[in-house]
Amino acid sequence: MAAQYILNGFVSGMILALPAVALTLVYGILKFPNFASGAMLTAGAYLALIFNVYFGMSLLWAAIVGSVIFAFIAVGIDQAVFRQLRDRTSITLLVCSMGVSFVLENIARFIFGNGARSYDLAIARPKHFLGLRINNEQIITAVTVIAAMIVVYLILRHTALGRAMRAVADNPSLAAARGIRRESIVRWTWGITGCLTAVAGVLAGMDRAIDPLLGWNYIVSTFAAAILGGLGNPVGAVIGALVVGVVEETSTLFMPPNYRQIVSFAAIALLLILRPQGLFGVARIKK
Amino acid sequence: MVSYLVTILSLVAIISILGLALNLQWGLCGMVNFGIAGFFALGAYTAALVALAGGGTFLATLCAAIVCSIACAIVALVSLRLSDEYLAILTLGFGEVVRLVVLNEEWLTHGSLGLPGIPRPFWNWIPEDQYEYWFLGLLGVVILLLYLALERLLRSPFGRAIRAVREDDVVAATLGKDVVKLRVKVFALGGVIIGIAGAFHSFYMTYIDPSQFSAILTAYVFMAVIAGGRGSNSGLLLGSVGLMAVIEGTRFLKDFLNVFDATQLSAIRLILIGLGLILLLIFRPQGCFAEYRLKVKKPAPEPRKTAAQTKTSTT
Repeated sequence: MAAQYILNGFVSGMILALPAVALTLVYGILKFPNFASGAMLTAGAYLALIFNVYFGMSLLWAAIVGSVIFAFIAVGIDQAVFRQLRDRTSITLLVCSMGVSFVLENIARFIFGNGARSYDLAIARPKHFLGLRINNEQIITAVTVIAAMIVVYLILRHTALGRAMRAVADNPSLAAARGIRRESIVRWTWGITGCLTAVAGVLAGMDRAIDPLLGWNYIVSTFAAAILGGLGNPVGAVIGALVVGVVEETSTLFMPPNYRQIVSFAAIALLLILRPQGLFGVARIKK
Repeated sequence: MVSYLVTILSLVAIISILGLALNLQWGLCGMVNFGIAGFFALGAYTAALVALAGGGTFLATLCAAIVCSIACAIVALVSLRLSDEYLAILTLGFGEVVRLVVLNEEWLTHGSLGLPGIPRPFWNWIPEDQYEYWFLGLLGVVILLLYLALERLLRSPFGRAIRAVREDDVVAATLGKDVVKLRVKVFALGGVIIGIAGAFHSFYMTYIDPSQFSAILTAYVFMAVIAGGRGSNSGLLLGSVGLMAVIEGTRFLKDFLNVFDATQLSAIRLILIGLGLILLLIFRPQGCFAEYRLKVKKPAPEPRKTAAQTKTSTT
């Protein structure tokens, strides 16, 4: 019984891993926590819904097309909004990302209304394995997230782009001195962010119904995951997401299931008191 | 029409009180509070529960102020060793926690059904048909008192110290200011004001449910503060009046835009709010009214420079 909860928690943690990594990448480069992350997830879910339900594509293709388009949308949002605010404080960017979040969420609400939608997906019987019940959706989620994480890891570790991204995150002026163009790195980061968040939107939409508040339900947990891993640390964010997922899911054994986000909040608060740099972060000296 | 106007003005007044709190926390001390809706709900429910239990409206307001202030102080204390972004995340999380508790602890809050029949202050003393006007007047007095107190605070040594913390906490600490204490104090003080706003919201509505405290409220308050000019209390008051004029004005759009249903119209309104927030931050971050600053007397005209000195200073 407990094993079932841990498995479920692992899979919901995997959905969290994508926006958490996206959040942490943007934080690394632009040094602000992107509050629009939840609304971006919602927008990604709806974008795939359009291709899936209205254009009749299979969900896989809808997700691929949707996430690629959303990557461009994310870059567009950056160019239109955040680029104008590059030299401002992180708090200004934060407040601004809240504005972006309202716009995105309500565009979705304007087009699709408040009602819940779902993807056009064949329902499959859950598989049983070692006494555990495994849904088809859970397998899809696990495969997608693991693949996405491997791709992101390879990009960050083994490509020129990844090295440049890490360099800019580490020390922007030194990176600039070495001839790395920050603006181009920022655009790539938003592209990756948009793509990951949109994929997370599709997975979240499969897990529960799609409504304008879909992403909002994940936002506290996403922040918990990213902080747990130490903001700016992508590998930490993945581990943080898995921990948050398992803790939230097992907490339903002795707490009402609606209180999952409270568990995440308590985790953030405790961690910030005891170990502010995150579980895997290194204490940094400011300024 | 007059009663409609009175209703709108009462809502503006409550948003303004919240704005004064955010202006203190964020505008003056640089501490972002994304959980305003949550703290507001906490205040409103505290006041409602105390008042419904027969505690009287004065005690209810007091309790709301105390509870909110303690909650704010705790959240500020948790994040005090960290940079401002963490406080923002924590306050957002706290807002969600309040919302979930209110929704789920039905024995206390009746969940999504809400709490009806909240008593109003001085209800028995005033004729019912004049009560709305009277309540608006009461709100006006509360705002005036808060405004005067905050303006006084702003110009006091304490006010200068908290603005120094906002500008650069390291410098403030070097100058012997206890940054942690100042920040917690300011956040708790903001909590007192939010609690008062919550209590008045309960009294005004006489019925509260969780849907009244959505995150949109937080956006409204931020917008009012940004539009009015961060740090300027009088700007904030004008900002919230202007904001409400826009929000309420767009309600009349439905007469011209028959093709959209109610959900779409409210979505349009919220898109406009979001866009407004972004555009203000990009094009007019200082808002419409400048913050109060100590005026430096014009320096005495410098003694005339010799030609040689002018030359060296220009090179």
